[in-house]
Amino acid sequence: MINSVIRRIKKSDKIGYLMSLPYLISFALFIAFPLGFSFILIFHKWNIITPMRWVGLKNFYRLFHDVEFLRAIYNTLIFLVIHIPLQIVFALLIAVLLNQKIKLRGFFRAVYFMPVIVSGVVITILWQQLYSYETGLLNLMLTSIGLPRIPWINDPSWAMPSIAIMATWKNVGLYIVLFLVGLQNIPAYLYESAELDGASAWQKFRYITVPALNSTMVLVVILSTIGGFSLFIEPFVMTGGGPMNSTLSAMLYIYNQAFYFGHMGYAATLGFFFAFIIFVVVLIQKRIVENK
Amino acid sequence: MVKKIVGIIVGILVILMAMGCGRRDSAQQQRSVEKKELTYWCATNPQEVKLARELVDEWNRIHKDVPVKLQTLPASQSSEEALLAAIAGNTTPDICSNMWPGAMDEFISAGGLVRLDTFPDFWPYILERVSEDQLKTFQARDGGHYQIPWKTNPIMVFYNKRIFKKAGVKAPLETYSQFLDAAEKIVRDFDGDGQADYWMLYRDIKPIWWQRLFDYYPFYICASGGKTLFKGDKIDFDNDASVKVFQFFRTMYQKGYMPVAQFQGDQFLAGRLAAQISGPWLVAYIQKFAPEGFEYGIMPIPRPDDYKGPIYTYGDPKNISIFKTTKYPRQAWKFAQWLISRHADLRLLEICDQIPIRKNLLNDSTFAAYFKKKPQMTVFARQAPFTRGVDGVADLKEIFNAISQEYEASVIYGRRTAREAVKRAVKRVKVIREWNRQ
Repeated sequence: MINSVIRRIKKSDKIGYLMSLPYLISFALFIAFPLGFSFILIFHKWNIITPMRWVGLKNFYRLFHDVEFLRAIYNTLIFLVIHIPLQIVFALLIAVLLNQKIKLRGFFRAVYFMPVIVSGVVITILWQQLYSYETGLLNLMLTSIGLPRIPWINDPSWAMPSIAIMATWKNVGLYIVLFLVGLQNIPAYLYESAELDGASAWQKFRYITVPALNSTMVLVVILSTIGGFSLFIEPFVMTGGGPMNSTLSAMLYIYNQAFYFGHMGYAATLGFFFAFIIFVVVLIQKRIVENK
Repeated sequence: MVKKIVGIIVGILVILMAMGCGRRDSAQQQRSVEKKELTYWCATNPQEVKLARELVDEWNRIHKDVPVKLQTLPASQSSEEALLAAIAGNTTPDICSNMWPGAMDEFISAGGLVRLDTFPDFWPYILERVSEDQLKTFQARDGGHYQIPWKTNPIMVFYNKRIFKKAGVKAPLETYSQFLDAAEKIVRDFDGDGQADYWMLYRDIKPIWWQRLFDYYPFYICASGGKTLFKGDKIDFDNDASVKVFQFFRTMYQKGYMPVAQFQGDQFLAGRLAAQISGPWLVAYIQKFAPEGFEYGIMPIPRPDDYKGPIYTYGDPKNISIFKTTKYPRQAWKFAQWLISRHADLRLLEICDQIPIRKNLLNDSTFAAYFKKKPQMTVFARQAPFTRGVDGVADLKEIFNAISQEYEASVIYGRRTAREAVKRAVKRVKVIREWNRQ
């Protein structure tokens, strides 16, 4: 009896291993191997066609003297500073509105989520048309009410905020869903007792909704930070990193180093360094938000 | 159950492997019965394809033992990228005639090219065509020759005669002052609608590295009396000539003689630009697409006011190389000789309006009829000996990118002075070079 049970477990183990084999193989091929290989690349100069050349720590020497990479990190941080608050404020407000019993609620929820599932390239091309200085819809609207045109993506000071606005529009739907889930988990009796105590709508929002959404907030901040750090498609398609490198994101710079200039080793070094920065920033953020 | 699943998977794998091997075997068999053949890649523009098609057909009529198969360079952002991808994938042709000297260092380091001076008849054949001095500019760092100098496209200034005349400007404009004075006269509101009718010059404002080959670089070569960015392995553009070029273009933008905008369509042919920086290929383009009555002239790159000496410019050379993957190097070399023969050079002029790198081009009777028919091309032929290519250093693309970034900041957006921008570009190039040094 016991033997047959053991045999069955062993048998099911084998099936389990077999079933997880596709994942293990893909993990080894597409995650573990590239990670290990790019770690080796850190100490080499390699452009795919020439043999790998050992350069020791020279890639780090370059990294710490590379003003363009510093600029790219600075740009990425600027993007985050604009993008995260915008994302949270809009997502929270719209989620609160969509949590009310309003007509066409399902329709609005779907509409807000739609940009999330549309291709980033398509959206970026569309927004490029909207931002056009001469013929863009936004500037046509501004001029029609007597306001001057804005050089949305043609001026170094405007370009990154313009990209942040577009990225917020694209991603806000995802965070609306997260906030909606959080809102629906808040017990109704909390609001009812607050109402009995004569709390205003703002007080209910400030003292019940916001604290109850703390864990969702942590998740949203971390997800949008990581998403913000991986800013790539928008500047790649829309501005190419310009004007004057004002929209050059760290990811775009790493991509350029690897695939435009063929510096695989240096790009790997930048990649690891940047991953470390993301890790530290997210850790700090998590501490700050949780302590609040 | 488990055994069954494993058995099925192994069975499928064995069948797939057997099918793969079978396919490879049959492909190898097919190849072995194929006749000897050379693959030749040419540039993708219609004129060069036409030239290549004609030369290949003529070759194939005579050399039936080793015929040549013509292919255009695979589509990519640049021909260098396509060639690098081909080297990486071991799918290079036997011979290619669109080799940019700036990318040669990578191709040579990858061991992708045949060293041509190992052919016994290399020197007599090549020196009959190209001067030793000019040949030296294409020599690799290891002292070898991996490219046959083929054609040069001296970068010069085309100008619209009608606009010049209307503004009372006389060509050629030789110095920066003359150019700026002319721009002041040209960029004006002639028809009284409150807007300037013409721009003096236009350049794409995106800081793409190769854009600098058509503004900063030819102007720098001119201002420095024929210098390139490096002297041997040392940075050589940290000088007044660079600053003057940056300052010249900066003034052009600051005074509104050049627009900070991106135009669609050809504004030069549309009669909105007074001048255009380009190479001889523009002659054929103008002849094909210019509206009736469009009159143009060609003048050398303007020089700083205090410069004295011959006027140099960038030559935008394209050369011929043989790839290591070739099974028939000797035959490929013979075909390369055919591509640079006197007859082929004449057809290069006639079909493409591009200048072959050949000694005494204007005195050679073979080409006399062509230059008589197209006198504007003599300007380029005369300029051809006074051209410079690019340095055969590693990471040249990134070096031009560093210059481009500073050019954009200083010249287009006026955020830093010309001297400051040059200094920063040099500093960045130093980091790139230092990093690259073993």
